[in-house]
Amino acid sequence: MRSRWFSLLAGALVLSVLVASCAQQPPAPTPTPVVIEKIKVVTATPAPPPPPTPVTLTYFTFSAAPDHLKDLDDMIKIFASAHPNIKIKVETAAWNDYFTKLQTLIAGGTAPDVFELNYENFVSYAAKGVLLDLGPVAQADAQFDAAIFYPRAYGAFNYNGMQLGLPETFSTVVLFYNKALFDKAGVAYPTGDWTWSDAVAAAKKLTDAKAGVYGLYSPAQFWEFYKKAAQNGCSFLSEDKQQVTLNSPQCVQALETMVNFVVKDKVMPTDAEMAGVSDGDLFKSGKIAMDVTGIWMFAAFKDAPFQWDIAVEPGLKQHATHFFANAVSVFAASKHPQEAWEWVKFFTSSPDVAAMRVTSAWELPALKNPAYFEDYLKQTPPANRAAVFQSLEYAIVPPVIERQGEMQDAIGRLIDQVKLGKMTAQQALDEATKQVQALLK
Amino acid sequence: MVGERGWRKLAWVGVFLLPSLLGLLTFAVVPILSSLLLTLFDWDLLTPPRFVGLGNFQRLVADRNFWSALGHTLYYIAGYIPLVMVIALAVAVLVNQRLRGVVLVRAAFFVPVVSAWVAVALLWQWIFNPKYGLLNYLLSLVGVHGPAWLFDPQWAMPAIILTSLWKDIGFVMVMLLAGLQGIPSQYYEAAAIDGASRWQQFRSITLPLLSPTIFFALTISLINSFQVFDQVWVMTGGGPAGATSVLVEQIVKNAFSYSRMGYAASLSWVLFILVFAATIIQLRGQKRWVTYD
Amino acid sequence: MTRTELGPLATAGEFEADPTRQPPRGIGRWIIYGLLIFSALTMVVPFLWMVSTSLKADEYVLTMPPQFLPRPLTLYSYRRLAALFPIGRIFLNSLLVATWTAAGQLLTCSMAAYAFARMRFRGSNALFLIYLATLMIPSQVTITPLFIVMRYLGWINTYPGLILPGVFSAFGTFLLRQFLLGIPRELEEAAFIDGASHWTVYSRIILPLAKPALATLAVYSFMGSWNAYLWPLFVVSDMQLMTLPVGLATLHGRWLTQWNLVMAGSVITVLPMLVVYLAAQKYFVKGVVMSGIKG
Repeated sequence: MRSRWFSLLAGALVLSVLVASCAQQPPAPTPTPVVIEKIKVVTATPAPPPPPTPVTLTYFTFSAAPDHLKDLDDMIKIFASAHPNIKIKVETAAWNDYFTKLQTLIAGGTAPDVFELNYENFVSYAAKGVLLDLGPVAQADAQFDAAIFYPRAYGAFNYNGMQLGLPETFSTVVLFYNKALFDKAGVAYPTGDWTWSDAVAAAKKLTDAKAGVYGLYSPAQFWEFYKKAAQNGCSFLSEDKQQVTLNSPQCVQALETMVNFVVKDKVMPTDAEMAGVSDGDLFKSGKIAMDVTGIWMFAAFKDAPFQWDIAVEPGLKQHATHFFANAVSVFAASKHPQEAWEWVKFFTSSPDVAAMRVTSAWELPALKNPAYFEDYLKQTPPANRAAVFQSLEYAIVPPVIERQGEMQDAIGRLIDQVKLGKMTAQQALDEATKQVQALLK
Repeated sequence: MVGERGWRKLAWVGVFLLPSLLGLLTFAVVPILSSLLLTLFDWDLLTPPRFVGLGNFQRLVADRNFWSALGHTLYYIAGYIPLVMVIALAVAVLVNQRLRGVVLVRAAFFVPVVSAWVAVALLWQWIFNPKYGLLNYLLSLVGVHGPAWLFDPQWAMPAIILTSLWKDIGFVMVMLLAGLQGIPSQYYEAAAIDGASRWQQFRSITLPLLSPTIFFALTISLINSFQVFDQVWVMTGGGPAGATSVLVEQIVKNAFSYSRMGYAASLSWVLFILVFAATIIQLRGQKRWVTYD
Repeated sequence: MTRTELGPLATAGEFEADPTRQPPRGIGRWIIYGLLIFSALTMVVPFLWMVSTSLKADEYVLTMPPQFLPRPLTLYSYRRLAALFPIGRIFLNSLLVATWTAAGQLLTCSMAAYAFARMRFRGSNALFLIYLATLMIPSQVTITPLFIVMRYLGWINTYPGLILPGVFSAFGTFLLRQFLLGIPRELEEAAFIDGASHWTVYSRIILPLAKPALATLAVYSFMGSWNAYLWPLFVVSDMQLMTLPVGLATLHGRWLTQWNLVMAGSVITVLPMLVVYLAAQKYFVKGVVMSGIKG
């Protein structure tokens, strides 16, 4: 008995050694291009330029896995035909662990050459000086024109006058609404100039607590809060970013409005009532009539069993909408900055890449030319895709400080206290102001 | 040992210890000592570490989040350890018996152990769902109105303890089973001949002879429960309102979200001192109740 | 009643003859059956639910209240997983890494445990305390220095890099030491008198007696490596070396999670572990532990 197990184990180990050695065979070397110049001129001709040395770049991404790895491969193939000497090695990690891994790679000295960043993390990486200034190499590149990018996106990744990343994609947050529920309650559809009072009034007619149907979903948490604060004309930080203005009356009012959706107006489910089911899933099963969420949900809602559409998100004193953008940056100490630039430029601005993105619903390229979005606008649902671009007019970026993670958690915890009824909005924001001011030091 | 003296003996000790010791040194001790050094620095991982002396420890003492995390961790331990040991021991004794299908029951207990938290967390969130969940439904059958569990700061930690028990009982049970198997049946036979009841046999044979294994299971469970993390991270994220924030959750947040690796290291070493102290107390205590032969 | 009185060289206690393993008669037996069946169900129902969700079509995954029997039943999740990942390769990697880790642990930990439990030497307790101490630092903080160490060794993104840190865990040594401490000295003394070396005693006498503990360690170390996430996440950048937990983690997108795919992945991850457990658990059960020389 024992010897049988032993030989089985030994066999497994031997097999695994074979498999391992298979995996570690070096990949076939990229063929070095040979430049042949057949010049039949008698006079001395300049020597042909040496063939560019083959280079392998690592590109680290969170948005490609798992659904778009094949799309990324196709884009790399197009790039490779234009740049045969540059090989792109893709590394991926799940969003939740992406930055943990990126930090560890950088700390361990094995940083990827090019990597994706979202806006908040971009700011902290930029501040630490680990991103390459693309200004000089962009200037030297005659074919590059920054004007092809959507200006707000391009500007977002400019830090202290240095262009530290090129915008890769953008998303906005809009108001999704369930037309069937609106029709049933006889309520007019939301328009682009609604305020939150309009929304709450409509939500009250749409809410049927017994049936578990709620009129509205716009959660009280950090990202929604800074947006509502902006809608109310308040900002977290003063102009010079030195003072925290979280407890100004407009901010307090914004927080109260948000919490009241659940507490006073009772048009939104509590966290306990949602109990782990996401708002997207509740919207799709007809339990939420109006959901404030991002355009990335179009694919998920596509086969919802009812008609739905979108509108620009309601405002308070003014409109303000979320602007999420991802950038692609080059590691400051990358050994191949020139080649990295070629990849970054291609990946963010190539018309082929843009078209592939739109077709495969892999986020929207941050390019200005509306022609790229013609196909996108034609797809339904939703019918009112124009609202996606209208939202851009009111787009704001989140307040970012160096100690971003701690600020988000601190504010989040205090908002939780308000939701639980343990603190008033004023108390919570007074405390938040104190804590965030301490973080600014 | 007969014929073993001095250098020869030491050489043998070396032969047996060296592989394990070398590996432990390289892959465990060196990183651990590095983390000790890190406690004196502030490191955001992206730029070189910056020396801050005892600054991290000063910060720790004043850190409200640390103290509440410590309290929650101790609460978790106090609730979890007694229950897991008692229940796992009871189960191990029960499944050690010759009953039909007991092999399947043993395997059933091990299923939660091998399942990843990510997969079972969702199901447990539903079990704990205040409105539609199984638990509150069962409670309502006996006329009790169940609390909001994972959304109620008072009940979130008990919910986590309950889920941890469900997941770990199989783990401890397997350890205890191996120990139970090591008790020669002759002892029981002799005791039965002497007229001892099952309970007496349990108390005077099983428990003492199982004590090294119980000690092992208890020590490992204690060390692990001080470092409870995965279930908190996946089920509540430390909430609601920080009610389930535990030490390792704070360590992870500081290390990777707040860019304070040095501070995270100092938190880890405070945790280490606590665990070490608890283990030493255990080790001293074992002389009183653990019988080796 | 001491062991020497009974004779440490007891014959194998057969499972059937062991009185403690005879359940009580009458109502006691039924109560025990009831308890065991109830608790076994509690343990297994979540797994069944995992399987059920993995067989659901996208739109039925998160209906409220939850639907136990999928209607319609579909293998879509599994097909999609195979399309998104090189599942075969990833599975093989996990298998390879876990097997080597378990083998490595069994060998090195049993040797170290023999030294701690059966050999008396100065500093034994202090050294063992150091072993224990390595279990007390959360790995999340030592993982970054470990990464740097691995980089110096040149084993980033290699199989040794994946396997080695998992092999040298104090847990295995601790487990085996405790077990080995319970073995009576008389068994070895006879062998030493006959001129056996430590290695002979270790391999011919001690190891066979330690089968339940070795089987337990095999299961635990295999499981630890099979489900390991953080270290493989850091050390592997080549998709060819990816293991199951790391690959499947990407199913948790930034905005959306496809739960039926996640559950399918979990089912694929859990099943081999159960097979390993069922194979090893025979060794927990064997009544033959103390088969020694009669005399």
